[in-house]
Amino acid sequence: MRRYFKLLGIYARMDLASLMRDGRFMALVIASDLVSNISAVSGIFLLAWKFGGIGGMDRFEVLFMLAYGNVVMGFLNMMGGCNALFPSRIIGRGQWEHMFIMPLPYGVQLTVGIFPFTGSSTFLSGVGLLIAALCNLERDFAWWWWGLLVLLPAVSMVIVVSCSYLLSSLAFYAPVQCEEISSTVVYSVERAMTFPLSGMPAYVRYPLLTIFPAGLAACLPTMILLGKTTLSESLYFPLFTFFAAFTAAHFFKKGFRYYVKKGINRYVSGGHRS
Amino acid sequence: MYPADTALRRPAVAVESVTKVFTQWRRKEGARGLFRQQKTTVAALEGVSFRIGRGEFAAYAGPNGAGKSTTMKLLAGMLQPTEGRISVLGMSPEKDRIRLMRRLGVLFGNRTELWWDHPVIQSFEWKKVVWDIPDQVYERNLDRMRELLELDGILNTFARELSLGQRMRADLAMMLLHSPELVLLDEPTLGLDVVAKRQMIEFLKKINREDGVTILVTSHDMDDLEEMARRILMISKGKLAYDGDFEGLRRLTGNSTVFTVTTDGRRPVLEGCRLLSEQHGVFEFEADLSCTPIRLLMEMLSRIDGIRDVEIRRAPIEQVIAQLYQTWRKDEGQTL
Repeated sequence: MRRYFKLLGIYARMDLASLMRDGRFMALVIASDLVSNISAVSGIFLLAWKFGGIGGMDRFEVLFMLAYGNVVMGFLNMMGGCNALFPSRIIGRGQWEHMFIMPLPYGVQLTVGIFPFTGSSTFLSGVGLLIAALCNLERDFAWWWWGLLVLLPAVSMVIVVSCSYLLSSLAFYAPVQCEEISSTVVYSVERAMTFPLSGMPAYVRYPLLTIFPAGLAACLPTMILLGKTTLSESLYFPLFTFFAAFTAAHFFKKGFRYYVKKGINRYVSGGHRS
Repeated sequence: MYPADTALRRPAVAVESVTKVFTQWRRKEGARGLFRQQKTTVAALEGVSFRIGRGEFAAYAGPNGAGKSTTMKLLAGMLQPTEGRISVLGMSPEKDRIRLMRRLGVLFGNRTELWWDHPVIQSFEWKKVVWDIPDQVYERNLDRMRELLELDGILNTFARELSLGQRMRADLAMMLLHSPELVLLDEPTLGLDVVAKRQMIEFLKKINREDGVTILVTSHDMDDLEEMARRILMISKGKLAYDGDFEGLRRLTGNSTVFTVTTDGRRPVLEGCRLLSEQHGVFEFEADLSCTPIRLLMEMLSRIDGIRDVEIRRAPIEQVIAQLYQTWRKDEGQTL
């Protein structure tokens, strides 16, 4: 564990060094990122404000959901600095070859490459919006609710990561063609997660809770936190997450075995570039 | 003791009957090719076996597409063999990857391990943490690399701003920071100018001689390889075609010698010798010493009028190798 924190520390130091190299420029980048993140959620929030809420959620409950989504994606962006959130890029660009020669388990390599300074703008805007939403919800939360507020975003992160890794496993078979598949998946989830699904017809709601589970990245867990779900709906969330994580891990490992056993850039027509 | 004897007793690398097959899709000719592709297999390595002893400096050579980089990737655990067994420093690259990487250094000339947007020293510090190098070892190695590879001027330069030669020096230093026992170098002199190449060769010879680091190096520059290594393994079409010293390789192609004769302009006629070039009275010949011994050659030369100078030298290894490659291609053509 001490070693793990040491590794996190060196990546954090390197990120800080990048930030400090041109402080004024980086301050501008972070400030514009913050503005851009808040603008991205403001459309739905303004609609909720105008109509007094959307799909059974009042305006600050909608803000709470938007903030939740920003916290989830912001934390993932911050922790997945070295493309850990986009493994198909690592494969497509031939960067896995750098990982082979590092004396660390792959899981550790993928989770220590953090960008806590330059990649924190979405997370910070999410936390800001969350505080604003909580202050306006006018509810008394039990002590265990605060535990859920930490736990459920973590489960949502597993959903996003699982989607990314599941589709990225295709990159082991066609590295060049699938290089950007993870970013397509993650950005699609990011866009779709900010819309309240409650009140939507079943043919929209169910696909977004199963085949393309963007609804599990923000909407459903928010409803659980707000106490607006049944027990079975609440249980579905962790069970589906477990299933998604297990499936993603299985197919990713299978693809990885194929890659080291059969793949090489020179011989495969869609082999990684470099 | 011949290096191969050491290799048998204490191998740093043991490759036993290794075959590596890749599958490849090929488009068929004609309109049907748009819809149907043919699956073919390519054997990059076929039943290759060799051993490299600890402390050896071995060259691994072969024409383009012979299987050099595939072998390097197999040894570094980046690929797994289709058949056969590989042991590196007594470990399996597949099963003991993490343990092995602490003792192995890998450098591919066409890619860098340096952090592109950070100063070189930052990459070194990153490596110290990732490889968990003790402070004392890190400081000692860093001081040594600074001196031997003249790094002082570039340690605080961003990797993206380095010239190719500087980048290679920085990469080499970074690779050696954890004191690897075995070093795998794939085309380390690729694109380097004469000075940078010289510096690198001298450095590699030094760490092999003084620290006993085992080195396996591939290069297209055969003269570089001959200067660095004592043993050469040659691979052709995925098979090991030669394993021995460079003199043996020369004998394989007929023990040829190249000599230059300077005359007053007259072309000397030398039986059994092949004229390679002719320019302003300077004639370059090639002779097979196994057919035309040096004594006979000197006798012939002494009988010729108008000779001003004679220079005899060994056939450059480049020429020997080129001859070998041509023979292999011819053999392959005949087989086809």
